[in-house]
Amino acid sequence: MNTLMTHIVAGYPSMQESEQIALTMLESGVKYLEIQIPFSDPIADGATIMQANQDSLQNGTTPEDCFSLMNRLSMKTDTPLLFMTYFNIVHHYGVEEFCKRAQEVGCWGLIVPDIPMDEEEYDHYLELCKKYKLNAIQVISPITPEHRLKKIGEVASGFVYCVSRTGTTGARSDFNVSQLEYLENVRKHVSTPLATAFGLSNRKQIDQALKKADIAVVGSKIIKVYDEDNDMQNLSSFLSDLIQ
Amino acid sequence: MNDSPIPLKEYLMNKSGHFGPYGGRYIPELLIPLMEELEAGFDEAIQDENFLKDLKNLYNHYSGRPTPLYYCENLTKKLGGAKIYLKNEGLNHTGAHKINHCLGQILLAKRLGKTRIIAETGAGQHGLASATVAAKFGMKCTVYMGAKDYARQRPNVFWMERMGAEVIPVHTGGQILRDAINEALRDLITNPTDSHFLHGTVCGPSPYPKINTYFQKIIGEEVRNQLMEQEGKLPDYLVACVGGGSNAIGLFYDFVDDLKVRMIGVEAGGKKIENTAGKFEHAARFQHPEVGVVEGFKSYFLQDEHGQVGDTKSISAGLDYSGVGPQHAYLHDTGRVKYTYALDKEVISAYELLCKTEGIIPAMESTHALVEVIKLAPTLSKDKVIVFNLSGRGDKDLFITTQHLDKENFNQFLKTFK
Repeated sequence: MNTLMTHIVAGYPSMQESEQIALTMLESGVKYLEIQIPFSDPIADGATIMQANQDSLQNGTTPEDCFSLMNRLSMKTDTPLLFMTYFNIVHHYGVEEFCKRAQEVGCWGLIVPDIPMDEEEYDHYLELCKKYKLNAIQVISPITPEHRLKKIGEVASGFVYCVSRTGTTGARSDFNVSQLEYLENVRKHVSTPLATAFGLSNRKQIDQALKKADIAVVGSKIIKVYDEDNDMQNLSSFLSDLIQ
Repeated sequence: MNDSPIPLKEYLMNKSGHFGPYGGRYIPELLIPLMEELEAGFDEAIQDENFLKDLKNLYNHYSGRPTPLYYCENLTKKLGGAKIYLKNEGLNHTGAHKINHCLGQILLAKRLGKTRIIAETGAGQHGLASATVAAKFGMKCTVYMGAKDYARQRPNVFWMERMGAEVIPVHTGGQILRDAINEALRDLITNPTDSHFLHGTVCGPSPYPKINTYFQKIIGEEVRNQLMEQEGKLPDYLVACVGGGSNAIGLFYDFVDDLKVRMIGVEAGGKKIENTAGKFEHAARFQHPEVGVVEGFKSYFLQDEHGQVGDTKSISAGLDYSGVGPQHAYLHDTGRVKYTYALDKEVISAYELLCKTEGIIPAMESTHALVEVIKLAPTLSKDKVIVFNLSGRGDKDLFITTQHLDKENFNQFLKTFK
């Protein structure tokens, strides 16, 4: 069994379908599920997820809708569920209120790529995540310098998200396991499990990635698979192929 | 007014990149080493006499600085109040103040060993200036431009391409400046080692506000000397338009600690300042102040009740932006600068007035500042002096101004020309 984290954009293609997709993922045996609260300016996302964000917002998805979705899902599973979003959504809701609400609806952790630990004294994000027992997932890249690895290691919680290449999210054919060599060095500083993300799209890549990392993340590829025929059965067998 | 413990000038360029609660570096981890590298390079460069000599050389002999500080005698007489001076940044090479920070940043990029420039542009003035300096320094250049701006500023696209830049229209979101910035950031995330993101205003993650303030402050420094020569005093009022805020900071910065000098920033009021069914008809951030964290920094952003950033509207592409530089947010809160707005229709009549009284064709952006000057001057006595920043000249707006002032003839011309 491969340890996989998958991703949905809440409200894409519709709220009902995104919930169905999430349930299919959970039934297929994913170990972590990332639920993205859509944002108008998702700078770390590539074309596929960016479009899904826009479409979801067009559908009228609000952060409150995403909390409700999280609530419904967390009642049905013990699998760790995470919110992924951008800091403006959290900041606008109120960092403390957001964390409190996330805990109430059964969220396990937050992935917010644009709130670096350097801003802690201004926003108290890590402190508030801790207070409400949310894992604040940190991100590391191949060009993260040693002094930052060390600091990230000190605040890491849950797992650490290691990108396998420079770039935004998106399925790519040129994933190469050598891009993950740097994870060995990361382990010197970080004791949590390591997830690797960005660019994974098939079983072979995932098997390779999991030789270096503990968790493989598949994101935009799943959106593409579902968009092809909107068939939950096909999505389910695609996921089984990646996991079993 | 200034609650910071150090002089405001020092504070607006402080090491931490925070201005009160605003500013900061809210970016993905991938970009942090790049911003650290850029900041270290900048801090070192401005201590290096050779760097400063090169910059001065380019300012003077490539761009044509110092730009004139011109006494608008006819306009002053017509309005019958304070003396009006305009700082003619429109006479810079490429037609606007944007060249100031482009020259500074390209020298910096060269120093850091970068070989490629990424830029975003709204009106096209910053993209044009970026393409210009990239051509001069033999670097590759990719300019992102919202598809809407790409269509309405076709002449600038043409010029950028002539200078060898690749101009990419961005079809996401509202297809304006904000979408171009997002796309430029994505490019940087993908190409972090060889590329320099030549940010076009005093927004973005730290150190961009500081860097661009440093390269734009020459505007106010020149105004101080020029006005001292012509009037023997400091200005009573400084007026500038505010999109992201680069020309305004450039004019204001040197005077922020001279508390007798009053300062006014003018935003784009668009069609009207009220929102229609939750949609913005303007780009007046300070009229609906809401703090946000977008595109790498904390400041005021036009956003909806859920924190989604809204699309803005303005006759001038250069002011059509939902966020404002973090230093301006701070200057707003402390009351050091007063922020107001000009409506599209006021801009058109002010434009006509300057053309006819002084023979100077202003950019739509800069004309927003002029609108405020026209309102202010008659209320002041004749011994007062107003300096407003003509941040750019108006030739680039030909296809917009003609639609308001000579639509039939111009469109007929376009048809027959084919």
